[in-house]
Amino acid sequence: MAGKIFAAIDIGSFELELGIYEIISGKPIRKIDHIRHAIPLGVDTYRTGKISYRRVEEMCRVLGEFVRIAEGYRADCCRAYATSAMREAKNNRIVLDQIRVRTGLKVKIISNSEQRFLTYKAIAGKDAGFNRIIQKPTATVDIGFGGMQISLFDKDSLVFTQNLPLGVMRLRGFLSLLQTESREARSELIKEVVDNELLPFRKMYLKDREIKNLIFTGGMMLYLSKGLVQGAQGEWITGKEFQEFQQSLENMGQSRLEDEFGVRPEYASLLFPSASLCNRILETTGAETIWIPGVCLLDGMAAEYGEETKLVKFKHDFSGDIIAAARNMAKRYKCHMPHIQALEEYALGIFDAMKRYHGLGRRERLLLQIAVNLHSCGKFISVRDSNERSYNIIMATEIIGLSHEERSVVANVVRYNQQAFCYEEAGENSMLVAKLVAILRLANSMDRSHKQKLAGAKITVRDGELVISSSYEGDMTLERAAFEQKLDFFEEIYGIRPVLKQKRRIR
Amino acid sequence: MAAEEIYTNPKNYVNRELSWLEFNYRVLSEARDKSIPLFERLKFLSITASNLDEFFMVRVASLKDMVHAKYSKPDIAGLKPEQQLEKIGEKTHDLVSLQYSTYSRSLLPALKQQGLVIMMNHEELNDQEGEYVDRYFQREVYPVLTPMAVDSSRPFPLIRNKTLNIAALVQKKDGDGELDFAMVQVPGVLPRFVEIPGENGERKVILLEEIIERNIQSLFLNYDIVTAHPFRIMRNADFNIDEEEAEDLLVEIQKQLKKRQWGEVIRLEIDEKVDKRLLKILKRELKLENNDIFFINGPLDLTFLMKMYGLKGFDSLKEPKYEPQRVPALMNDDDIFTNIRKGDIFLHHPYMTFDPVVDFIQKASKDPDVLAIKQTLYRVSGNSPIVAALAAAADNGKQVSVLVELKARFDEENNINWAKMLEKAGCHVIYGLVGLKTHSKITLVVRREEDGIRRYVHLGTGNYNDSTAKLYTDCGIMTCNPAIGEDATAVFNMLSGYSEPLGWNKLVLAPLWLRGRLLKMIRREKEYAEAGKPAHIIAKMNSLCDKEVIAALYEASCAGVKIELIVRGICCLKAGVPGLSENISVRSIVGTFLEHSRIFYFESGGRPELYMASADWMPRNLDKRVEIMFPVEDEKIKEQVLHILQVQLEDNRKAHVLQPDGSYEKPDLRGKMKVCSQEQFCQEAEAAVRAELAKQEPENRRTFIPAEAQNSK
Repeated sequence: MAGKIFAAIDIGSFELELGIYEIISGKPIRKIDHIRHAIPLGVDTYRTGKISYRRVEEMCRVLGEFVRIAEGYRADCCRAYATSAMREAKNNRIVLDQIRVRTGLKVKIISNSEQRFLTYKAIAGKDAGFNRIIQKPTATVDIGFGGMQISLFDKDSLVFTQNLPLGVMRLRGFLSLLQTESREARSELIKEVVDNELLPFRKMYLKDREIKNLIFTGGMMLYLSKGLVQGAQGEWITGKEFQEFQQSLENMGQSRLEDEFGVRPEYASLLFPSASLCNRILETTGAETIWIPGVCLLDGMAAEYGEETKLVKFKHDFSGDIIAAARNMAKRYKCHMPHIQALEEYALGIFDAMKRYHGLGRRERLLLQIAVNLHSCGKFISVRDSNERSYNIIMATEIIGLSHEERSVVANVVRYNQQAFCYEEAGENSMLVAKLVAILRLANSMDRSHKQKLAGAKITVRDGELVISSSYEGDMTLERAAFEQKLDFFEEIYGIRPVLKQKRRIR
Repeated sequence: MAAEEIYTNPKNYVNRELSWLEFNYRVLSEARDKSIPLFERLKFLSITASNLDEFFMVRVASLKDMVHAKYSKPDIAGLKPEQQLEKIGEKTHDLVSLQYSTYSRSLLPALKQQGLVIMMNHEELNDQEGEYVDRYFQREVYPVLTPMAVDSSRPFPLIRNKTLNIAALVQKKDGDGELDFAMVQVPGVLPRFVEIPGENGERKVILLEEIIERNIQSLFLNYDIVTAHPFRIMRNADFNIDEEEAEDLLVEIQKQLKKRQWGEVIRLEIDEKVDKRLLKILKRELKLENNDIFFINGPLDLTFLMKMYGLKGFDSLKEPKYEPQRVPALMNDDDIFTNIRKGDIFLHHPYMTFDPVVDFIQKASKDPDVLAIKQTLYRVSGNSPIVAALAAAADNGKQVSVLVELKARFDEENNINWAKMLEKAGCHVIYGLVGLKTHSKITLVVRREEDGIRRYVHLGTGNYNDSTAKLYTDCGIMTCNPAIGEDATAVFNMLSGYSEPLGWNKLVLAPLWLRGRLLKMIRREKEYAEAGKPAHIIAKMNSLCDKEVIAALYEASCAGVKIELIVRGICCLKAGVPGLSENISVRSIVGTFLEHSRIFYFESGGRPELYMASADWMPRNLDKRVEIMFPVEDEKIKEQVLHILQVQLEDNRKAHVLQPDGSYEKPDLRGKMKVCSQEQFCQEAEAAVRAELAKQEPENRRTFIPAEAQNSK
């Protein structure tokens, strides 16, 4: 067989899930098996901060079986990701170690932003038309039990992403208080509750952007999509159709919901709140079409693996999304965009030229690019000590697609751009941070005047020197002076001395 | 009476035990049917006897348990356990006397006419025969007997369940004339009857207990035998396993099996001419009530007639043996997987052979591309080729998961052995589910092919048992439909203890979804009827006794839905009752093969839906078992399956029609073409093979083809 079998394991807050995928070049990714085992890790973590020994025991047993099943399918690769329950457990390291020792499984804890990012990959993996759709303003809304993530795409790239504390569980809790109210009053109250969160968001981020399409994902959406439009599961539907659907749900009793959707009572009681939430988002945004693709984290993992093994080619540039997110953040903090653009050119130019000396890859290049974009965002808060402010802003902002570790690399790179580098304080990845800082500092010095004087400069390594030659004809004193200052650190890191050359034409 | 009350009023239901006895009467009527070959009639009589044994061990026993436990909840027909026992008592006594009058008044004379004499009493033997019999006794029987006498120093012995024994009153030769009890078990290891060399081509057989009785004096040399009579007891065999407590199901069942020998005695069968004093002792020692005693005029335990059927030399008195036919869709050189890929394959056993199912698993066990085989096993035959193939598959490195249902009644011992063997071979064996019996019949083969993973599924209405597949009529489908494959995977995930899938594509499972789905479909027919659209239900099953389902059927009938039921066994529904079930007809087909398939047809407003299932419409199937109902969607197969229903509805030779008064009658044959569905299916299966062979012949052949003997493969 030409393709590969991929086994994805999700260690979630309520369930352990195993997905077996068949990925064949040129074909849509196919889910062959999906096995779920309910285990409320979240309850442990959120109550005591730790995962109890009993749960670890159960988890290891089930994961062991998962591994066996994956082997049964002769999976080419088996990956396990853990999300919030494990992420927030204080004893997660020892738990992961236990899992590794007992099942041979190396579990990776992923951050919220990585998790959401995988969801986009899953959506993109589901429909080849995704790229076309997001030419027009499209919001993807990932609705969870405790909160939801709204991300906006426009003109083929991600504009922003935000997490709102609006989840189905919370809404249901609220609804149960309203049992006695009349139907009209109830829907009015739901509206108010949702708007309470949604309107400020709209004001701050949406402004007068018009959203044409809505994509809903998340646990409950899987169930909701089943009853959506008979026979048209996973298809686009109009906003009006969705509204009718939501109203039909409202008229159904609990037991009818269980029958129609074939779900357990606890899920049935969440169907209407989910639909109401979606409906309110629909009304607020005024979107015309809706899609509930029914994807989960496992699908995203499969898409990611497919991309890595080059069996799946996305038309959509996901790294572009991460950059776009960073760029939008820079804009929000009123950074000087021409300066940033010049810096990007210089920094990436140096990075590419120095490839043989730093040994870093594409992912690190991406981090550098993000660091460039965000290097001065702290100035928005205060000009003095702006590096500390930038550090804090970055650490407090979710950047889609970045793990927590990567985000801290970016934040540190930005911090040490202006602050004396300290190996001890730069965290676990101090070497990476140092390498990127050296490049960023040098690049920053090259546009000291913020006038992009060195645009189009040639950057090459020649005879043990990093030669930057510019054909700028004006005065480069400021840049040169700054450049000289950064030389030593650069040499300290790479053992290569940068040289700035100004080519002058003979008149 | 309000409309809804009619549907649920106990008056409108039949007690299931009484309905079951009706069924046994129907089987008995086959034994009485002179148009059936004589030896086949022996077989039917034997079946009524073994049926009745099981009925006592399980049903009567559990009713007795209820009485002991002072449980007095009325059943579906409003009868309390005590009342039920009373009615069952009456009816079974009648049944038994009919059994024996059939035996001695009808079958024995007929056999004699055909030259086979069954000696009723050893006293009838002439000298020469007596000598032969005595020699046989000395040589073969005597060494394995264990005579037991009861006196003050020896307690009353344990009498084993279902064994045949001879009880005697004995008197010490030099004693004071006091009578003692003595007994000897008729050994089960020896054949129940012995053929005596006869004269003039007449053949004679005598029953083992007669031989022992004749020689009983030699067992108790110090005693005089006052009287001796065979007797047989039945014990309460229904056991409940406390699964939550039982740590290891396997060990627990083994323990319970031993206990079965000790259950309460619930029936005594004894010669009607028994000595009062002997009976009194038995009654006292076995703690019996008068109602539990069956006085028999003839040999006890008629199941020996099944062995008698095997007597050589009476082929003209037997139905010619039917050879299951090949499946046309598989009559080519392609392997089973390729054939399934061409389209769904329908199997109708025993008209078609069960080999494809065995072949499917055997091929899968050897095929290098097969990744996994998963199967549910309920009742497996001895030396099952399927079990062997599964073990081989595990050996070949396939992932093999087998759910072995240990709780299949009376098969526990058998199942434990298979389970252990499979586990040793490296299969992942699941020993059933706590609180549920796994009754579904499903096999999944996962295969990695050129264009990706493909799943092959076999779904059936009958067990994976190659020997019963020759006797039970069952249906099955082999498919590689991805929607069904996906569901099958989910079924096995659930059976392994994982969460239910987000949704099902095609399959409907009990205990979670099947009941709701059936009710929904019945009610939908009712809605169609009310809307003036065609509404029609045809359902074939073994038993119908679920109150909710029956009430829904009554309601549908009142709304004008035409309901035709083909229910072989128990039917708690009353058919053709004005104002309740005028539109419902029920027929039961009892024939050479045991009707076992479950097929449900719903008109669905002109878009007919057809399903097959492993489940009857009984509470235990719908609530306490894992069952699967699957749709038949391939148009050609749909036609075939519908044809089965139609022919069975036309059957007028083996069908009995349920009357409004609860009795069953054979339809009036006058002026009608005789239809025997089972015979017709046999012929059709043969014709299909011939047609397929003809199709494969080149058209302009220039050679002659000598006709072959029929039934040769």
